[in-house]
Amino acid sequence: MTAALAGLRVIDLSASVSGAWCSRMLADFGAEVVVVEPPGGSPLRKLAPFDGEGRSLLAALLLANKRSAVLDLEQRRDQVKALELVRHADMLVSSAAPASLAASGLTYAEIAQPALIMCHITSHGMTGELRETPGNELTTAARSGWAFINGDAAREPLKPSGWQSSFCAGTAAYAAIMAALHHRNLHPGEGQEVDIAELEVMVSTFAPALLRGQYLGEPWRRRSESDITAGPVPVADGHFSLTISRAHFWRDAMNLLGLTDLAEDPKWEPGHYRAAHKEEYVGRVQEKMLGWKRMDLFEELAARRVIAGPVLYMDELANNPQLRERGFWVRAEGASEGPEYPGAPFKMSATPWALRGVAPEPGADTAAIRATPAAIGGGE
Amino acid sequence: MSGPLTGTRGIVLTHAWAGSYCTQLLGLQGADIIQVEVRKRPDSWRGDYKAPLPKALVEVATAEHPWNCNFLYNSVNLNKRCITLDLQAPAGVAVFKRLLPFADFVVENFSPRVLGNLGLSYDEMRAIKPDVILCSLAAYGHSGPWGNVPGIGGTIEPTSGMSGLLGYRDGPPINSGQMYPDAVAGLNGFAAILTALHHRDRTGEGQYIDVSMQEANLTFLGDAALEYTTTGHVRARQGNRHLTWAPHGIFQCTGEERWIALACESEAQWRALCAAAALGWELDWRWATNALRKEHEDALEAVVGGWTATQDRDALAARLSEAGVLAAAVLDGHEVANDPTLRARGVVREIDHAETGRWPHAVNPLHFSRTPATDVRPAPLLGEHTAEVLAELLGTSGDEYEALVAAGVSGIGPPD
Repeated sequence: MTAALAGLRVIDLSASVSGAWCSRMLADFGAEVVVVEPPGGSPLRKLAPFDGEGRSLLAALLLANKRSAVLDLEQRRDQVKALELVRHADMLVSSAAPASLAASGLTYAEIAQPALIMCHITSHGMTGELRETPGNELTTAARSGWAFINGDAAREPLKPSGWQSSFCAGTAAYAAIMAALHHRNLHPGEGQEVDIAELEVMVSTFAPALLRGQYLGEPWRRRSESDITAGPVPVADGHFSLTISRAHFWRDAMNLLGLTDLAEDPKWEPGHYRAAHKEEYVGRVQEKMLGWKRMDLFEELAARRVIAGPVLYMDELANNPQLRERGFWVRAEGASEGPEYPGAPFKMSATPWALRGVAPEPGADTAAIRATPAAIGGGE
Repeated sequence: MSGPLTGTRGIVLTHAWAGSYCTQLLGLQGADIIQVEVRKRPDSWRGDYKAPLPKALVEVATAEHPWNCNFLYNSVNLNKRCITLDLQAPAGVAVFKRLLPFADFVVENFSPRVLGNLGLSYDEMRAIKPDVILCSLAAYGHSGPWGNVPGIGGTIEPTSGMSGLLGYRDGPPINSGQMYPDAVAGLNGFAAILTALHHRDRTGEGQYIDVSMQEANLTFLGDAALEYTTTGHVRARQGNRHLTWAPHGIFQCTGEERWIALACESEAQWRALCAAAALGWELDWRWATNALRKEHEDALEAVVGGWTATQDRDALAARLSEAGVLAAAVLDGHEVANDPTLRARGVVREIDHAETGRWPHAVNPLHFSRTPATDVRPAPLLGEHTAEVLAELLGTSGDEYEALVAAGVSGIGPPD
């Protein structure tokens, strides 16, 4: 089996989590990726969390599978070097806003290489009023509508955890590059520019709440309750989601919990009736759930094909039997020690994902790449 | 049709959010998406056949059928054609198999056992269309001890680690305001299918793609995952805080439900914030460096929140943005729908729908310079395109379609 993107060469000039995730996916499916870091290293290397030696684990995740060249794109000499690298590349990833991109002399027009696929991943896109306005996960959560619906109605809105808009936008950017590549496959020589905004990808994922607000005449809001209809509730050893939709889920779950009167009365079968009268049962159901441990309840419900889920934490996921059986956690090829990395986001039968190497030190490949720009693929 | 996928086609068995969003993204890039739906068991995102109409549609004269008027379905099924086939009837499967040779890809998000039970496993499909790309999106993927455990966004959020990391610092784990893990799975399915398309372009070979919603979502927590496997530390819920920078939060402004998101990721931004507030924050030793601000973040947030509470949200957001601080108003869904920048970039657009009328939608977030993907069509009505698709692809006559309807295999709306 060969990697899907074997033989494709990528220069990553980005300095963002979204750009780095996009090029990480390109690398994971077989492209040769050179990340260009400024003197002092990528800004990602300064972000928490850190290992015992002070190395950024965010950078370790995002720069894995790549090679590294340090170039100072504020210097003309290194701009020329970067241009030379790009001439040997199929794809270029950039996170620079229009003004700073122009200042580096690396616009698509200046590169003037029609077959190149150049992907911009920025907070707000390369055109429009916000093109030069900086953004981050927090402002994207605010502008996309997500913060307004996450959390408790009585408290402040919540951004999604961690780097969600960066991972979403990085994945969308990767997909956009693949779409552009498909076009180029059918029309050799026809590359193009792709423009991905983190904000807009999150607006796309917000679509159901947006239209819900329109059809209901008022915006969708944060929840004012925290019962089983909203999400996880307490059980004996943590929290557990019991999202009852179909009638048989209700019947089987209520019987399991020993609430046979609720299980057997047919008036509770329609979902809309349960929603309208939930105060009559949520307290009783949640009290029964407190007598259960998460995994016991999950296994019993799964055996009844009732949809449910325990809240699992990273120490549990690292040992999760499903993830273990499917080989989710991996070390870089050939490594027998060191931490395991989270693995493939999806499994492909003919062109599998692979973690071929851990993150390079900054500039690890500068000398080799400066000497022979055509060798960015590492094959010479 | 426009966009880089013009000329490709998917015959898809997607429903709810994850699968439907995946295939909508393909359709928005120009692929011809033919979504097969089953009248006996309508897409849960079309809702119950007897559900009441949403409030704002009650007065809309054309809004007749609740299953064509569901905001959930209509929000994630743009640029598709809908055909109905009863896949439990041999005649329905037979029609599907006749359509299959016209498909570049098939996408499904049934429970893992369903496809095999219908006689439509990957091997069975490949026997008909050797280079087909089949993508399955299931809760836990199609193998392993949980391979047959059912799940939806609301249960994958807890089992993928998402819920454990989402919430207030002093509160319990929560789920997102809508089932976010579906969106993550849909984006990954989209990326996977296009990867497979490139491989097929190059080699002529199709393949099978197995998307586990749990794995896709856990991947998006990769930094917390690697933190655990490297250091043994299980990350706590952070609320709106950042692991590195402070301040970084959402603060109340004057008026009800008026909030501002505000963050500093450099000393220059912090100094700009101090200057904007003009309250002497720059003189307080507790805020002198980012490390100190992080250490005294509770007190910092109290001070910042005390100030924003006296400020108008939009005026403050504009003033801080102008000064280079990371700042944005927390918009509600209506404000997102009316956002001038999103509209100018064509990411929010008004779409006419035969029953519901004209509404703003979030459409395509991908912008291509050479192959712009700008055509948008409304979500299809249930069974709207069966006759059209059968005629176009199979050369079927109207009589043959009517026979399928008479046999209960196809048709429009609820089963008779």
